[in-house]
Amino acid sequence: MDIKLPKQTHDIFAIMARGHFISSNGTKDGMNRLYDIINEPENFENLQNYFGVIKYRIERGNNFFYFSKVDEINSIVEKKLETFEKYIDIIDLFASMDNKITIGSRFRTGALAEECNANVRLKQKLQKIPLYRSETLHNKVREICDLMSRDSFLEREDEASETYKVLDSYAYLLDVINAIAIYEEGGTTEGTAGIIYN
Amino acid sequence: MGMQVNAKEILSLLYYNRDVVDFLFGNRDSVTVNELLSREDITAEQYQKLVAHDVLYEHQQVVGLNDAVIAMFEDFMEIGEVTPSFINDYINELKRNIRYYQEGNEYRFLRSIKKYLKRIGGAISKEIIKLQKNVDDTYKNEGNYRIKLQKLEDYRLKRDTIIEFINRANEMIDETRKLFELTNDLELYGIVSSLRNILIENLDYLIEIQTDITDYINKIQFQLDVYKKAQHIKEIKDHGQLHYKTNFKEVVLGLNPLGFNGVKSPRTKISVEFLHTDDGYMLCGRIAEKYKITRLMARRLADKLPANFKDHRVEAFVKLDTQTLLEKFLKQNKNLFEFLMDFKFPKSLGNVTFEERVTLFVEISMEFDKQLDFKFTLNWYDFEDDKKQKRKIGYTLILPKKVKEKKAA
Repeated sequence: MDIKLPKQTHDIFAIMARGHFISSNGTKDGMNRLYDIINEPENFENLQNYFGVIKYRIERGNNFFYFSKVDEINSIVEKKLETFEKYIDIIDLFASMDNKITIGSRFRTGALAEECNANVRLKQKLQKIPLYRSETLHNKVREICDLMSRDSFLEREDEASETYKVLDSYAYLLDVINAIAIYEEGGTTEGTAGIIYN
Repeated sequence: MGMQVNAKEILSLLYYNRDVVDFLFGNRDSVTVNELLSREDITAEQYQKLVAHDVLYEHQQVVGLNDAVIAMFEDFMEIGEVTPSFINDYINELKRNIRYYQEGNEYRFLRSIKKYLKRIGGAISKEIIKLQKNVDDTYKNEGNYRIKLQKLEDYRLKRDTIIEFINRANEMIDETRKLFELTNDLELYGIVSSLRNILIENLDYLIEIQTDITDYINKIQFQLDVYKKAQHIKEIKDHGQLHYKTNFKEVVLGLNPLGFNGVKSPRTKISVEFLHTDDGYMLCGRIAEKYKITRLMARRLADKLPANFKDHRVEAFVKLDTQTLLEKFLKQNKNLFEFLMDFKFPKSLGNVTFEERVTLFVEISMEFDKQLDFKFTLNWYDFEDDKKQKRKIGYTLILPKKVKEKKAA
């Protein structure tokens, strides 16, 4: 099989095979460029065929790409559930901020910790998120950001001020939340659409 | 009010200070006077001159370019805030000139009419390009979602205003068609028909922008809705009902990204041939560094021998000689400690101190414990320390293995 591949194929594979997302608004390691390259219809098809040989599939989201594996075995059920329970905690925290952190948002860990410190509700939320280290609120926030960056949902823009940016891949988590159905009698939540309790 | 100046003076002033102007244009509303004056390309005198000519203004220590200068740059570069009012001004001017022309058929009014017709077309196109840029920019970069929503709504209003102006321009052309036909001016005819095209084209474009704005607003709204849901789910989770009241488990288990399924990235072993290359050598070095593996640490040339290396020789020699010492020890029947204390080391070693002998005792007892007979009784040895004080040291009784039990002398 002779496929014309972009020369960044190796970089793309290196990121996505680690289970990371490639977002259109990521800047580290030329991520936005990689996104554009995959997004080119011809490239997309070629890469899809190429990776298909080793049973990887490129999945397309809203402004992001990721790998899935064909015929994978679901081996780590517990861990997967645990990870997403943690995501729910984090998304809930982000959603409860005065200035909601969402796709494209930039924030400093210090500012986030400060807001949590000033607001009892947020403080409780943050303190209840199960994390390893972190006595102080700021360290907790740092750890959350580390975790989310490792999973390629955030990107650290500035080392010194610890500024993070929310990447497009975050939409994936929102899609997951959206897909969860809540079994409840009566649609009590319908009327208040758009208003967030804070 | 600044000094009276002409265009040439402004141009040369701007040109002379072009670096400063460029710097201030790039950093609007954030440069302080001190910051500016600390730059090498402007002196306090030049600064005063610019202020005197109204090119710069100063407000609470912050320096800014004159709005007119900024507007000029933005106009040319088709960036900056959307200002549909320009179109309105042009339309009004056009109207006025048409009225004049209807009064007295003078050529000069016709010339103005042409000018404003052209300008309307240009302004509309320019504003729409800016609108598109601003909408995209707001959606992508505005961090505060409330302001983002408001800004997008504002752009929607501006879009409506532009549409209104386009319609007005269209109407006006229709109304004055007869008049234009009467002039029998080919150039005017060309301008009018091209303006018509521009208007139709831009109307289409605006519809597209409208779709974009709606799309963006919907996306934000979607995010807000999802956030609301996330908070709800979190509440359910806090009540421990996540697995019973929702299909959380099914949804999460159905997710396919590699990262969530514990799929490790495929590993390939590095070929031995590669490791022999220079790149392979570098790689080994890096890995050794990372995992602190001394075996892999690159072996480099030894440093130059220090001038006093002979002084260190004694120690090295004593260390190396334990094997011979052990053999000698096994052939006699004193216990190890006394044997070492009394042992006559070769003269070439010089004086072997008490401490060195103790070190040897420890070294031998640890290294050759298999060949030694540990008695697990404590004996005492008296000695004088550096300060000539009498001291005692306790040591384990160690005998050569083949020898039968025997008390120390």
